Amino acid sequence: MADTPEAIKKSVRTYLFVGAILFVGTIVTVLVATVPWLDFGRHGFDAADCILGLTIATFKASLVAFIFMHLNHEKKAVYWLFASGLCMVCSLAGLTALALGDPILDQFFYSGH
Amino acid sequence: MEIPYVVTPRKDTGLFNSKIAIWLFLASEVMLFGGFFSAYVFLRLGADYPWPERTLPVLPGLINTFVLIGSSVTVVFAWASLKLREWRKFQFFMGITVGCAMIFMVLKGIEYNVKLHHQAMKLKDYSVIEGHLGVESEDGKPVLDHKGSTIEENLIFVEASKLTFDTVRFYKPWVEELLAQAEHHHSKVALAADVTAITKVGQPAETIAKAGESLSVELLNRIRAAHLAARSHNAANRTEALRAEWVTAKAANPGKKGWQIASGVNIDMAALAPTLLGEISTVSFSVDPPAKLDFQPRDIKAADGQSRLRDDTVVDGKLLASPMVFHHIDAIDFQHLVMKAKEKGIDPEVAIENSWLMKNSTFVRDAWAWHQGEIKKLSAELLQAHGVGKDGKPRYVPTHKELYRIGWKDLAKMAEDHGRAKLSGVDAAKEEFFGPDYEARGDETFPGFSVPREQIGFASKFTPAWNTYYAIYFTMTGLHGLHVIGGALVLAYYLFFGKKMYLSNPEWLANRVEIGGLFWHFVDLVWIFVFPILYLM
Repeated sequence: MADTPEAIKKSVRTYLFVGAILFVGTIVTVLVATVPWLDFGRHGFDAADCILGLTIATFKASLVAFIFMHLNHEKKAVYWLFASGLCMVCSLAGLTALALGDPILDQFFYSGH
Repeated sequence: MEIPYVVTPRKDTGLFNSKIAIWLFLASEVMLFGGFFSAYVFLRLGADYPWPERTLPVLPGLINTFVLIGSSVTVVFAWASLKLREWRKFQFFMGITVGCAMIFMVLKGIEYNVKLHHQAMKLKDYSVIEGHLGVESEDGKPVLDHKGSTIEENLIFVEASKLTFDTVRFYKPWVEELLAQAEHHHSKVALAADVTAITKVGQPAETIAKAGESLSVELLNRIRAAHLAARSHNAANRTEALRAEWVTAKAANPGKKGWQIASGVNIDMAALAPTLLGEISTVSFSVDPPAKLDFQPRDIKAADGQSRLRDDTVVDGKLLASPMVFHHIDAIDFQHLVMKAKEKGIDPEVAIENSWLMKNSTFVRDAWAWHQGEIKKLSAELLQAHGVGKDGKPRYVPTHKELYRIGWKDLAKMAEDHGRAKLSGVDAAKEEFFGPDYEARGDETFPGFSVPREQIGFASKFTPAWNTYYAIYFTMTGLHGLHVIGGALVLAYYLFFGKKMYLSNPEWLANRVEIGGLFWHFVDLVWIFVFPILYLM
């Protein structure tokens, strides 16, 4: 993290630049979702749009985390803490995928219908 | 005692206290929102109705995204200003950040308000119409209820002649509301018959209330008190009698287990009867002359002759015509109907043709015919742009939503095609934000429509009750909004009350702002995912 006045002054420019990228990223996300000739994959919303939208969102979120939240040069303890939260989220997503990937999934099986 | 490591970092972790704390908190927040995103995926993939993809207006969400990104930049600037010991700049940037938070919440409030006043209705054949309900009017003037408010045309009316209250479950505000309504119609609500009950063992029945006494919460409370006293007394007597029976049975069957003799243990109710008091579980009031009472649909199980409220109050009387009247309809949606038709192997077009809406509304028929023409044009455009696949079929076809939903923009376009009102510039931009402008476009574009109550399958405003999409939408954006408010309050505290700390130890305040800023960035980070997932997918 920038601590000296010089380093902080320098990083201000980086923050502005990242802010601009975030704005542009948002516009791109909206354009590919709403403008027909920028539509990826099949006509209308599909997996390609989902992957593209989430990729841009992940890129933007990474910029916020690494630059604004200073995760690009933090102490080891912070990485451990944050990574533990992320691991739990990945596990949750994995459980969701596991359940939805069940080849004999029957949502009404236990409801007696 | 001085708390260590509030400004200087610990040597082993390299972090000061609050930084460890905020990252622990953020890790738990990641899990919290991660759980909601997983829930979203689960709900979407498991939905038994057409998921309303790309249904929210993009513009408010987009502006809010810009606002949050902007505030993320300014909060980091505010922190940098403190590090450089520039108090004025800190105030400036932190002021913008807090201002952005307020703008975000105002925009979110507008968005919620639009949803909470927008009506959706699913008919029994699964076709859906959306719009705004009207108000009852007579001779062009709105009819007012007993409170002086307009009456929304989504109420159930009963010409009540008798009200029977459950003496335990009656809901006080509803009793008062029924009374007020009856008085408004110049009707008297009075006890239909004497309320008598044995209140003392061995004594004759006592009159608790006389026929003709007016309905009041106090009267119901008096009857309830007698009922509860009797119920409590009777329960104690029955328990005592049962206990005595058990003692006798145990003595008569030594060595046997309880379950072996249970079937033979019974209370002699005839012998017990003289020791019991009179319970009054319900009490009836006549409404004279019968009055037209109105009820919210969610509160009543309506039936001709006898309806029942949620607090078990029974309303005797004729069920009057209670149609749901839309002042304007702004969407016609056959997606769910088509989904159901396909499940049953019915041709979607046939199902639509046979739907109640198509049979009973010229406007819906005209709109559907126009929409079919638009779909043909779109199909032709897609064919021209993308050609056919190896199987000889068009590579790209209109989506399910395009095929079977006529949204407000389609209805507006139809009206414009027919030479009716056309909006542009600021008015058109306002529509992108607030939804259709009914006043400017007029009744020809968004006409009124009435649906008999018996055709309604389910109706709701666009609240969490409408479907799981709106449930998760309100949950996620509401929780996020609470984070925005919480974060803004903390940052505003540093802005307005941080000067003293700045003068005594500026580095301490810088650390605090860094912590508040980390939380603020996290709020932004969550929105970066919420926006595309809820608004664009």
